[in-house]
Amino acid sequence: MEIKSEKMKTKYIVFAIILVILIGAGIGLKMFFKPHADISKLKTEYKVEASGLILEFEQDENAATAKYSEKILEISGNLVSKNKLPNGTNLLVLHDEMQGISCQLDSIWAAANKETIEALKTGKAVSVKGICKGYLMEIKVSPAIIVSK
Amino acid sequence: MEDILGESNEAVTILNAETGEIGFQALMTTFHFKRALMEEHFNENYMESTKFPKAKFNGKIDGFNKDMLKAPLANIKITGLLNVHGVEKSITVNGMLGLESGKLVATSKFKVTPEDYGITIPSLVRDKIGKEMEITVKAIYLPFGN
Repeated sequence: MEIKSEKMKTKYIVFAIILVILIGAGIGLKMFFKPHADISKLKTEYKVEASGLILEFEQDENAATAKYSEKILEISGNLVSKNKLPNGTNLLVLHDEMQGISCQLDSIWAAANKETIEALKTGKAVSVKGICKGYLMEIKVSPAIIVSK
Repeated sequence: MEDILGESNEAVTILNAETGEIGFQALMTTFHFKRALMEEHFNENYMESTKFPKAKFNGKIDGFNKDMLKAPLANIKITGLLNVHGVEKSITVNGMLGLESGKLVATSKFKVTPEDYGITIPSLVRDKIGKEMEITVKAIYLPFGN
């Protein structure tokens, strides 16, 4: 009886160790192949007006950078330009051509929402949601998606 | 073998058409890598992007004259200060400047050693990564200002 239960114990321990290793490997592989953020699934942390956001960065760049960097923002403003970069990325500029908010649309989202992008008209209001990257003469938001009101 | 390649197309550059002064700024978090995990390591472990969010270069095109802006792409040398990871170093790099398909373009390719800018790569992985990092820049300029 004694010998049998020892064997059972060893079997359980080996099984438990293999399970931990498999879980560890699973977590490791998941992290290694971790996909980039899906903006449509992430929660908006700040809802702002383009003009207000620009003012905040102009008044105190460091404070605004600390507050908004890497956060999900939903920004409404006037679309002043809509362009495609040489690599195919869609670029929307809000509020001001040179010192406004530059938003690079997420390429996966853009491929699935071509009509929405086509329908955008400059001079009209638009709302974008994306990760604020910081300030370099203009506020940079990427990746971003267009949100419907 | 994998390429460790981060690309940003969100940098800002200004070229003074009178003096040949040239400047670049890029937010480290706008360098995108194929692997999300690589991008995370780049920002958190190596560049410490929260502490040092921007990389900056301020310099001057050697022997600049305004005719360079109207001529086809030609070799140039740029000397200036590169500020990365909070460390500023004087560098001189080769590049090209001129008109390409009707647009004013500047390009450059140069190498930097991470350790020169206080970037420590743990000994465990140091041999797995190249000694120097190659930086490739391509800028297209449009007229701005008066």
